[in-house]
Amino acid sequence: MDDAGAIKRCQQGDREAFRHLVERYQRRAVGHAVAILFDRDDAEDAVQEAFIDAFQAIGRFDTSRTFYQWFYVLLRNRCYKMTARRRPTENLDDVQLLASQPGMSDETRLALEKALHSLTPEEREIVSLKYFSGLSYDELATHLQIPRGTVMSRLFYARQRLQGKLARTLPKV
Amino acid sequence: MTGGEEPELSKELLAAHVAGCANCHRELEQLQALDQVLAGHTLREQHVDLWPAIENRITKRTVDWKPFALIGLLLVIIKLLEMLPAHDLGMTIKLVPLVIVALLFVLIKENPFRINTELVMER
Repeated sequence: MDDAGAIKRCQQGDREAFRHLVERYQRRAVGHAVAILFDRDDAEDAVQEAFIDAFQAIGRFDTSRTFYQWFYVLLRNRCYKMTARRRPTENLDDVQLLASQPGMSDETRLALEKALHSLTPEEREIVSLKYFSGLSYDELATHLQIPRGTVMSRLFYARQRLQGKLARTLPKV
Repeated sequence: MTGGEEPELSKELLAAHVAGCANCHRELEQLQALDQVLAGHTLREQHVDLWPAIENRITKRTVDWKPFALIGLLLVIIKLLEMLPAHDLGMTIKLVPLVIVALLFVLIKENPFRINTELVMER
């Protein structure tokens, strides 16, 4: 079943079709939510709430977007509501945000996760979407609903902060 | 190095400057090192199964509350009408809208305006 078909069936009240969408996108969504919230449990809660929001709003699905682009707005709103009313996570061991490619040590991964943790949620979000999910500037503008120029400047300052944090942790960088 | 804006210098002029400027050369090396570290990582695959919890929630939510709200409202109105001859009308009339609103919110069990479905970023 493709997304368009599933969405159409969801709009007619078919819960199995919605299950298809949940099972297709939940892993990606939790990854993105962990990047913003830096907490696995909170991320799962935010994704769950966002899917329930999506189920209720599916009748107003914006067909000019893909399902995930549309859903990401709901997810993002849930995540930022959550950041406003909770303390930042102190224990990074349970977060497990990143996976290393061959050639990268666990030490580097941990240093990068620690540096990301010190960024703001907005900075972490844009860095994660750009470098770990491989979104282009145009895709970032669509996902974040901001102009392309804002994407570039926000990314520039996020990178600069990340570099500053990593420079203290990793002498090579 | 340009804050996301288009650089005023051409690529060639920029490269020539970087080659001759120790500060910019070092900054470029640091940026390239950062890129290398970032490129060496991906978001970890998250193993989750949220469907049972989501299904449970959407099943509960799809119970239509409107008939119950209507019945409750009718009962309150009937009760208030019964009370009319025996009590001070002024106070009863003041309480009616409050009771109706309170009843509706209790029956709905949550704020129906809570969810942002306008697809506009809140931050």
